[in-house]
Amino acid sequence: MGGGTVKIGLYFCNCGSNISDKISSNALIAAAATFPDRPYVQIVDFICSEDGKRQFEESVKSEQPDRVVVAACSPRDHEATFRRCLTNAGMNPYLMQMVNIREQIAWVTEDPAVATEKAIAAIRGAVCRVRLQQPLEKKLLEICPDALVIGAGPAGMKAALSLAEAGRSVVLVERTPFIGGLPVRYDELFPALECAPCMLEPLMGELLHGDYAEKIELMTMSELIGVTGFYGNFNAKIRQKPRHVSLHQCIGCGECVAVCPATTMNEFNSNASERKAIDFAFAGVLPNAPFLMEGVCLRSKGEECRACKDACPMGEEVVALEEEEAIVERKIGAIIVATGAGLYDASHLVGLGMGTLPDVYDALQFERLLSSTGPTGGEILTADGNVPTSVAIIHCVGSLDEEHKPYCSGICCQYAFKFNHMISAKLPDACITHYHRELVMPGKEARTLFNHAVRNTKSSLKRYDGIKDLAVTRTANGRLEVSSTGEVFCADMVVLCPAVIPAEGADTLATLLDVSRDSFGFFRELHGRMDAAQSTIKGVYLAGSCQEPMDIRSAMLEGMASVGYTLAGLQPGRTIEIEPITAEVDETRCSGCRLCGSVCPYRAISFNVEHNASNVNSVLCHGCGTCVTACPAGAIVGHHFTNEQIMAEIEGVLS
Amino acid sequence: MTAVKNFEPKIIGFLCNWCSYAGADKAGGMQESYPPNVQVIRVMCSGRVDPQFVLSAYEKGADGVIILACHPGDCHYKEGNCRALQRHTMLTMVLEQLGIEKERCRLDYVSAGEGEKFGRVINEMVESVRLLGPLIKNGSSTTESLRTQSK
Repeated sequence: MGGGTVKIGLYFCNCGSNISDKISSNALIAAAATFPDRPYVQIVDFICSEDGKRQFEESVKSEQPDRVVVAACSPRDHEATFRRCLTNAGMNPYLMQMVNIREQIAWVTEDPAVATEKAIAAIRGAVCRVRLQQPLEKKLLEICPDALVIGAGPAGMKAALSLAEAGRSVVLVERTPFIGGLPVRYDELFPALECAPCMLEPLMGELLHGDYAEKIELMTMSELIGVTGFYGNFNAKIRQKPRHVSLHQCIGCGECVAVCPATTMNEFNSNASERKAIDFAFAGVLPNAPFLMEGVCLRSKGEECRACKDACPMGEEVVALEEEEAIVERKIGAIIVATGAGLYDASHLVGLGMGTLPDVYDALQFERLLSSTGPTGGEILTADGNVPTSVAIIHCVGSLDEEHKPYCSGICCQYAFKFNHMISAKLPDACITHYHRELVMPGKEARTLFNHAVRNTKSSLKRYDGIKDLAVTRTANGRLEVSSTGEVFCADMVVLCPAVIPAEGADTLATLLDVSRDSFGFFRELHGRMDAAQSTIKGVYLAGSCQEPMDIRSAMLEGMASVGYTLAGLQPGRTIEIEPITAEVDETRCSGCRLCGSVCPYRAISFNVEHNASNVNSVLCHGCGTCVTACPAGAIVGHHFTNEQIMAEIEGVLS
Repeated sequence: MTAVKNFEPKIIGFLCNWCSYAGADKAGGMQESYPPNVQVIRVMCSGRVDPQFVLSAYEKGADGVIILACHPGDCHYKEGNCRALQRHTMLTMVLEQLGIEKERCRLDYVSAGEGEKFGRVINEMVESVRLLGPLIKNGSSTTESLRTQSK
């Protein structure tokens, strides 16, 4: 582009008197004659007004400039407005540069002569820069509007069902043999002691058999093992472990369970009760079908047992003894991670008896003990089968603790006071002692259970400073003792409320999906407040306690939030527009050092081994330009912010 | 170094679009004047500020360069400001070897809400460069070494 060959239109907005009071348009007109390519100058009163925009568009149409500079307000206000004007006028919108002479010059410079001089220099910079700007086009990308939801707890179920209701196909992958997550294993829920299965069952029923169920492909005992592609176009590889029971044909009668000769301990009852090799995870579980545990089944020990298959009243095909692991692939546009949480292993806190003393339980184990589908049918009994007369509940086990988890787990106080209510309902004579560091019960409903515990004459609350001040020991007569800085209390049962941590496997999944996790291992949000349901990777959304400790209400809301992103971003039949302000690698100059990939915060850069060159995925690129600067070979172009454009602007404002 | 009488330093300011540029707009909205010596170059992220831009600014006549970024942890692009900090640390070492005082290349953090801080930082920068005097004096070794190094 040689001198004089580029026609540049320079549009100067008076902004009423906001700009014209300080910056002289006449001086600018005089100076413009000395700028490269001698731009023509047009003065507009309010270029952002309807009249101003019309005037601007008509002028661009009639003058047919090659490039445009708009000296007006902040581009943060109106860059998009004037880009639209240019599009209307038939010009590529990226051939414009704005100069912020209002917020950054007129409004902040005392002396009009000085302001005019500064504005002229800034506009000269823009003129020098705009000459080098190139037309850019938004790319249009075909997408798949369907979604993969990982985890069928409250957040995942809510997300899957809502997407199905919106007409999307959903693949719902669940690692366990059942849906409902952790709360379906509880009897009652805080804050209102609602029956958990009763609360969740309508949702689970809809999901399995409702009007939209056919849009949901539920895969139990399954996990994601690979993902390729990107937002709008993911390919997911899922491993389905054999259940050996057809979910579609089984009627849940349990005839197979009754005849099964092999037994083992039931992990879904904290290994506190037995199960058969073919059995339900627990009573009332959904989907209402048993699963067969390989390794426990006599067939895996070489015996020719087929008692379950023979007992099935629904025919030969329901129990599939020879079923093998399957790998399936699905094409989806978005991924919702709803893998939930677990509890910190309380045995890491030496001296509390977890794993070493009988009758010391963590909260999940105790939930099962309270549950009517649990190992004792809901009766609170010690390991010896006795009714406890005294229960100690220790809060903040590993939470608010720099040596373990420094954060507050947020939900423990509420379920601890729920325990108080449930224990006193079942065992009115039992004494209950709460040991707590802080009491955290936010929200409008949480205080009810706390007030109940305070009014309960059989309960007491004791504050401790650090978990090391507490010790749980077993006396010679077999009772437990909780000692707290010298004071000793006898208890028949101790319930620990450990820190809430990400569910097992979060690390593997994060690696598979390339999403970041925080220092505690939870999935990291794109922004903790503005985009808390988005992960750091475009098209991968987060829902529920995989991102932080969360109650059911918040998890369900996060599930809906992730659905909102999916529905808003991916619409059937509509392409997505890709911003052209992205980075691009010139393969011929790339030396293959891969530095760019290591600085990209969005994993947008992959490496093509065959070409020995990096490659930027423009869908994933956010256009920050960090890789452009990092490239030692100068092989990456940052579109719209190229080195040449920025250097020309620097030279222009300084000359 | 003694200040040159009536010396008005020329300074280039690289501002990231999301925090600092918005902070400068905020300062504008407050309509409080600050010295006119800084010409702003908008970049999407402070991580885009290439050390060669800074050297080029000196070569083309700037007496100082200021890079303004989002506060640590607030970067719109997650960690571009950390890259900017790393590059700035390295660059000031190089500049010192070229005889360019580190005060001539400042990195600071201004959020979108810190209009007042923006004005204050600009004031400080202009005053510190004014005290140092012009970067390029005719025939000085600084000029020569810079021209050689940045080609």
